[in-house]
Amino acid sequence: MTAATTEATLRDRIGSGALALVAVPLRALFSAIDYPMRLVQRVVGVVGMPYLFLIPNLAFFGTFVVIPLFINFGFSVTGGTQLYLEDRPYVGAEQYGYLLDCENVTDVSTCREDRFWRSIYNTITFVFFQVGFLVIFSLVTALVLNRKIRARGFFRSVFFFPVLLSPVVVALIWKWILLRDGLLNAFITWLGGEKILFFISPTWAMFWAIFVSIWAHMGFYTLILLAGLQAIPPDLYEAAEMDGTKPSRVFWRITLPLLWPNMLVVIVLALIKGVQIFDEVFVLTGGGPGTSTLFIVQYIYETGFASQIQNFGLAAAASVLLGAVLLVLTLAQLYAAQRREAKAA
Amino acid sequence: MAHLQLTHVKKSYGLVEVIHDAGLEISDGEFVVLVGPSGCGKSTLLRMIAGLEEVTSGDIHIDGARVNNIPASDRGLAMVFQSYALYPHMSVYKNMAFGLENSHMPRPEIDQRVRRAAEMLRITEYLERKPKALSGGQRQRVAIGRAIVREPKIFLFDEPLSNLDAELRVAMRKELAALHHEIGGTMIYVTHDQIEAMTLANRIVVLNGGHIEQVGAPLDLYNKPANLFVAGFIGSPKMNFFEGTISATNGAETTMTLGEGTLTLPFALERNTGDKITVGVRPEHIDLAEKGAGDLNVIVDLSEQLGGETYFYATPEAAADQSQITVHQLGQRLLGRGEVLGLKLRPHQVHVFSADGGILRHGPGEG
Repeated sequence: MTAATTEATLRDRIGSGALALVAVPLRALFSAIDYPMRLVQRVVGVVGMPYLFLIPNLAFFGTFVVIPLFINFGFSVTGGTQLYLEDRPYVGAEQYGYLLDCENVTDVSTCREDRFWRSIYNTITFVFFQVGFLVIFSLVTALVLNRKIRARGFFRSVFFFPVLLSPVVVALIWKWILLRDGLLNAFITWLGGEKILFFISPTWAMFWAIFVSIWAHMGFYTLILLAGLQAIPPDLYEAAEMDGTKPSRVFWRITLPLLWPNMLVVIVLALIKGVQIFDEVFVLTGGGPGTSTLFIVQYIYETGFASQIQNFGLAAAASVLLGAVLLVLTLAQLYAAQRREAKAA
Repeated sequence: MAHLQLTHVKKSYGLVEVIHDAGLEISDGEFVVLVGPSGCGKSTLLRMIAGLEEVTSGDIHIDGARVNNIPASDRGLAMVFQSYALYPHMSVYKNMAFGLENSHMPRPEIDQRVRRAAEMLRITEYLERKPKALSGGQRQRVAIGRAIVREPKIFLFDEPLSNLDAELRVAMRKELAALHHEIGGTMIYVTHDQIEAMTLANRIVVLNGGHIEQVGAPLDLYNKPANLFVAGFIGSPKMNFFEGTISATNGAETTMTLGEGTLTLPFALERNTGDKITVGVRPEHIDLAEKGAGDLNVIVDLSEQLGGETYFYATPEAAADQSQITVHQLGQRLLGRGEVLGLKLRPHQVHVFSADGGILRHGPGEG
């Protein structure tokens, strides 16, 4: 036997030794559950087995998602301040009526629950600007990061990094920057300007709420768009180059149409996430000043849990309404994803 | 007129030079095929002509004008890509019209050109379809159509048939030849398939490792390869090579060792006794003989009966290190595995190469 083959055999032995470390306990485990499994299969049949394996996850999902959904609905059609459903009087659609009771929906002050309407209008404003700019910035960033630039990998991770941070951490970082004596004001005064009280001005507060959430989430959407861009064959661009296509026309006529399925997914996902905005803004502005950055989820949270009188019924009704909006958006997202798959096929 | 000239063209990626001093002239209406094994630089050369790759040094002239720094779109060329590179979201019509729209050509003229090309390529009925709804062959036609409508000075083809199945490839090959006849344009075609090269080209450019090995008409390359590489690359199955040493030479004959025997060549070589040489013989230039009656004895490894012809592969009996020999015989020959027989090389049709791979002498031909 030559030296090389000895070494190879030795390596094989070490390899099989390592394998044995995993294989032996696994084999023991399998032989231990073999008999009970056969027994179970005899009872539920081959067709029933997959469902049996699904039970643990379904049980978890059912307990913490499906059942609470129904309980929530139960709360929304009952009144009072009691916690237990059986103690709460049935009020039908009264909670919904209370939420939606408005003389003039364009004037929040004429609504019985003006905070609810205020939060809805704030959320619409937020979603409109946040999603719009998020998509534009993500697209531009993806286009730049898709080019052959220096340190491309580094920049890609820089843009993705905020996604990894907890929303509370994101909000705290920006709070330190934006406070009266924060980093940004220090910079402004150094330049000779006057301090700006960002969290006292409703416009500035909304601006920073939108800005920070874009900063925090952009990386995720950039990644989706970057994947879409990379899936476009480079040959197409070369063919366009041979065809004498101007860069702007390449973007509008080739890149954008081919990226559109990904764009649709990004838009719908951003919409869903935007409507659900809560934690970053809650930590950053607390919904203020006044109610100028109060969004729907914060309204639900405060109505149900954080106000003096915990109005579970009203919060539950608002949740059901929000849920309906999210359902429509989710269906749109599924549709968009299906279209993307159909296009890819 | 479209006349292309490459002078001292080099291409490097960083410190790695992939095209070494390429020089080539292509005249109007020629169908030139760049052929070579993968990684030989043929696609790079084509892409430099197209303007998709920068030239590191040297010049490219089209119709006398230096085009090194002229963008791809302004060189008056059209390219057909291996992947077809059709815009998947546009109809066949839009795909073909796109380049013309870029140059702001009037609509009626675009329409006329697209329809004429579609008719020529028999894809008129698919004009409203998306590329996805077409077969590979139809997509290839659309890609060619997209090139035709631009009425380019030179057509560039980058392995256009390699994504098609064998049968379709043969059919498309014929159509391309017919197309060249019809349009009469200058065409430069890259392939690694030497059958495509042999059947389509007016002239073949054989590349290897970034060097142009030989340029010539298909049969010239076949009959008079300039070196060992071209001899081995052109022709399928490939040429057989026998290494040996010159044992005697005089004004009329050269004798060389061949395994344990000798081979006498009917011509003189300007080489000394003891020099190493390689003799190349094509499979169809070897005759069968009784065991011991030929130039060398071989053991049959495998025979392929194709009906009208027979190929068999054999290993020399004497020298174990010699590579397998391929022999072509017309008609049907039944030869069993392990059978020992003699082979006779036709001395007039051998090619003799020096130890460094250059050609020393071609056999005088039939006789």
